[in-house]
Amino acid sequence: MKCKHIKTRFSDFLIGDIDQKSKEEVQEHLTACSSCREELETLSETWTKLGVLPEEEPSDRLRPRFYAMLEAYKQGLEQEKRAARSTRVFNGWLESWWPRRPVFQLTLALILLGVGLALGYFFTSGVQNRTEMAQLRQEIQSVRQSMAVSLLDQPSAIERLRGVNWSARLEQPNQETLQALLNTLNRDPNVNVRLAAVDALYLFYNYPVVREGLLQSFTKQTSPLVQVALIDLIIEMRERRAIESLKQLIEENTLNPDVKQRAEQGIQLLSY
Amino acid sequence: MEEVRDGKVEKLAILFERHHVILYNFFLRLTANRSISEDLVQDVFFRILRYRHTYRGESKFTIWMYQISRNAHVDYLRKRKEEIPLDEQWTVPLSREQSPAENLEQEEKITLLRQALAKLPLKKREILVLSRFHNLKYREIAELLSCNTGTVKAYVHRATKQLGEIYFELSGGMVS
Repeated sequence: MKCKHIKTRFSDFLIGDIDQKSKEEVQEHLTACSSCREELETLSETWTKLGVLPEEEPSDRLRPRFYAMLEAYKQGLEQEKRAARSTRVFNGWLESWWPRRPVFQLTLALILLGVGLALGYFFTSGVQNRTEMAQLRQEIQSVRQSMAVSLLDQPSAIERLRGVNWSARLEQPNQETLQALLNTLNRDPNVNVRLAAVDALYLFYNYPVVREGLLQSFTKQTSPLVQVALIDLIIEMRERRAIESLKQLIEENTLNPDVKQRAEQGIQLLSY
Repeated sequence: MEEVRDGKVEKLAILFERHHVILYNFFLRLTANRSISEDLVQDVFFRILRYRHTYRGESKFTIWMYQISRNAHVDYLRKRKEEIPLDEQWTVPLSREQSPAENLEQEEKITLLRQALAKLPLKKREILVLSRFHNLKYREIAELLSCNTGTVKAYVHRATKQLGEIYFELSGGMVS
């Protein structure tokens, strides 16, 4: 029992970290116990023997390797910091080219102002362009109107036909043009021109002046072709007021039988 | 170390200059291989940088450093395949040894001691090396290994005893 207790002090004994009281206690035991004495002697011998193991110096490679690693790590850290600083890439980019000297800063500011003005000029002129375009279109339209009206007044039937075509291509014909077309329908000597006028007026039958003009035009027509075309147009317009005009038309003795038949059909269709 | 932890990583150079030789020898006594020991020293300082935030100034820096060193060594052993048997490592020539020419006997002693040390189980080897060569108190080793001082003392005792036996065997039973 005593030996076991004493042996727990051996490791303290080896490193010499033992208080005087314990040391005396151990030494006292060793004089009496040869087994313990031998064991401590062997331990001390081994312990001392280990002392011959020399301290070695590492190779010349170790130091440069360490400093290279440290440098690389520092750079990595700085990059991280930089990345964190300019979380917004834009800021980093801005910083990188923003000049340090006030003179250059002023120059850059002026350049930017110039660019701004140029852009502003470019965009406003764009708006102007658009209004100009609209004006131009309006001008074209009015030129076409007067063109159409003057063509409808020409002595040549071919010219008058072109006038009808011109007016048919108008987007928003004015009163003058529409009246000119109606006049052509009622008074043009050429039947082809009058037929073309019917077709052109078909496009504009939503205009009240056109509707009225067409209704009154029945009695003025003599050509069966134009009459039939007009009757078809009236039916297409679903104009119920035309029934009276059609009835008057049927009463006429000189009426072409085909036209009469078409007019009767028209009355039937419009009566529904 | 506090400065390193707080961002002045360049201060690690001071720690390196102060401790790298002793760390190298620590690994040399554990692994008996010079180039592996150098690799491990490098690894330890890299880990110190990487884990510098975990350093709490409570215990001595050296204890923390040895904790990292032990982990580095254990990781190395885990990674190392069985291809490199311990005996082969011992064939590393000791040509750079500056032992006195007149004492061939001592040179033989050194070789034998290294071989004996290598045959010790890892934990005993670690504790013996730390207490014998690195001037750590048993209390500090206990802190390092998270065990009590009594256990460390018992380990030192047994390790020394076993080392003596191995040495005796290796020297062919001749007491030198």
